[in-house]
Amino acid sequence: MAGALVGPATLAVVLGLLVPLAILFRYSLNRFVPGRLMVDALTVENYVKFFTDPYYMAVLVRTLRVSAVCMVLCLVMGFPLAYALARTRSRWKSAVVMLVVLPLFVGNAVRAAGWMVMFGSRGLLNTLLGVVGLIDHPLQLMYTEAAVIVGITAVNLPFMVLTLESVVEGIDPAIEEAAASLGARPLQVFRRVILPLAMPGVLAGTILVFILGMNAYATPILLGGPRFQMMGPLVYGQFAGLNNWPFGAALSFVLMAATLSLSAVSNLLIQRRYRR
Amino acid sequence: MARIELESVSKRYGDVHAVHDFSLAIDEGELVVLLGPSGCGKTTTLRMIAGFVPVTSGRIRLGGREVTNLPAHRRNTGLVFQGYALFPHLTAAENVAFGLEMRKLPDGVVREKVARALELVRLADLGDRLPRQLSGGQQQRVALARALVIEPDALLLDEPLSNLDAKLREEVRVEIRQLQRALGLTTLMVTHDQDEALAMADRLVVMSAGAIQQIGTQRELYEHPRNRFVAGFVGRTNFLRGQLIEPGVFRSDGGLTLRYDGRSAPSSAGAPGASPSGVRRALALRPERLALGVPADAARANRVAGTVEFASYLGSIIEYYVRLSSGETLRVHAPNTGAAGDRAWALGETVHVSWPVEVGLVLEDEHHPEEDHR
Repeated sequence: MAGALVGPATLAVVLGLLVPLAILFRYSLNRFVPGRLMVDALTVENYVKFFTDPYYMAVLVRTLRVSAVCMVLCLVMGFPLAYALARTRSRWKSAVVMLVVLPLFVGNAVRAAGWMVMFGSRGLLNTLLGVVGLIDHPLQLMYTEAAVIVGITAVNLPFMVLTLESVVEGIDPAIEEAAASLGARPLQVFRRVILPLAMPGVLAGTILVFILGMNAYATPILLGGPRFQMMGPLVYGQFAGLNNWPFGAALSFVLMAATLSLSAVSNLLIQRRYRR
Repeated sequence: MARIELESVSKRYGDVHAVHDFSLAIDEGELVVLLGPSGCGKTTTLRMIAGFVPVTSGRIRLGGREVTNLPAHRRNTGLVFQGYALFPHLTAAENVAFGLEMRKLPDGVVREKVARALELVRLADLGDRLPRQLSGGQQQRVALARALVIEPDALLLDEPLSNLDAKLREEVRVEIRQLQRALGLTTLMVTHDQDEALAMADRLVVMSAGAIQQIGTQRELYEHPRNRFVAGFVGRTNFLRGQLIEPGVFRSDGGLTLRYDGRSAPSSAGAPGASPSGVRRALALRPERLALGVPADAARANRVAGTVEFASYLGSIIEYYVRLSSGETLRVHAPNTGAAGDRAWALGETVHVSWPVEVGLVLEDEHHPEEDHR
């Protein structure tokens, strides 16, 4: 009976995810011949092309860097907020939670448009800085890596906050008081008690945010501009723009493998450090 | 030298006086119990000493050191929480070691002290266990070892036994008491359980509505309660409402004229004759000091007829509710000695309740809302 309950979900995963992935992997071993598009073959040349071309490697490194920076920013900004939310007894708590989730209610394109208004050369930020007198000429904010990082961090922060908040709520406040009474300063309470106990949430939150960053699409395009490439847009470009399905498929698998292996490794490392 | 001193400590939340003008000095090695119903301010008081709740006014000293404005981590208090609050990710030994590590003691010393503390609470073999692998009683002992290994200026116990089942509770309270004595720990314990309080304390502080009602030994509180609240909270008591006719004579609302030896609680305005007549009073009578069916004699000046309304066989005593001829009810505890002369009284049976004059104590009939819940 219980087995039957997992049936529909299993079917959806198999048909919607595993089968297309298998087909995609098979494509990545095909050959692309201009004019004839995809030609059946069994070759690793698409992967070789990726790993030997400095341009594609640079895109991968940039994607990893942006995702990692966003992940760290989300963790550093999200933890204090999550902690405060988990511990507050204010009646405004649910309102604040709504505010945290609010960015998710706005579509990617709309949100990115908002950042464009903010970051443009005659945008809000440049205007303010000019008025205050800190700058003479508008700064180049749009179409930079920094803009992309800000954009992705802003979207992903709610996931981190919500994940961490639920974990921190499960930590008995008396445990923190016990640590304090035993002589632990607030920072020591955090490092020795809260952080280890919140580790499952930290792990889940960082992996989630990292995966979302690795696969970001709209934000890099809209805030990074045409010359700023990340893996997500690159994959799409190969499929839709260049009709190079084999190489696009190979890129997809590189992206997936990088994301999965890094998540797994960090999971292992952290679990070894905080064994319990 | 007192190790825990509170001087006119008060805590206000807005208009609410959670704790009002609380002064207490606990001597070195003494165990004082704060006893009171929930919401009386006893836990707030303990948390002010620990440094989790800032005082509104007043001063706190621990071991002669002013700590009123120190944060919790600089007060050197050992706390045992109601739910133990062990670190779930650390073993029993690591839990005990935590406070020593915070004091930056060398590893060797930490290991030695932890081993000794675990031995003290009879957990030497279980140091490697995580809290969730220990029983409630064992967790409790880890919490105790963790609190006392740092040699605190004050050991603070917050309802330490309330999560244990009844049988274990009695064992553990003896254990805690012996340990506390052996180590000479200056201790403040908070509880709402009067049996626990009476069994463990050197002195008790009875609290109600944020204020100290009385401080004293078990005997002082039981024999000389200062007011009606203390008389009702420490031990069981019958209260007959009424007023004083003249010194030594009390007239109950039901119309009984009862004699007592003129004892009044100090707060009941000194000598009974001096107080204005018509002030509401209550005559307090401990149930175990009333006798059933004893013939009239000179020693038992009070003798009232009634009928047995309800009886509970409680083992060492039999508790009777006797409806007096005046309509009032008295609870009487008859010792269950098993002697041939003992007589069990049946429901509905007519019986005389009698007691000597020195049993009665006249108190002001102040009404405490807490009593309604008990």
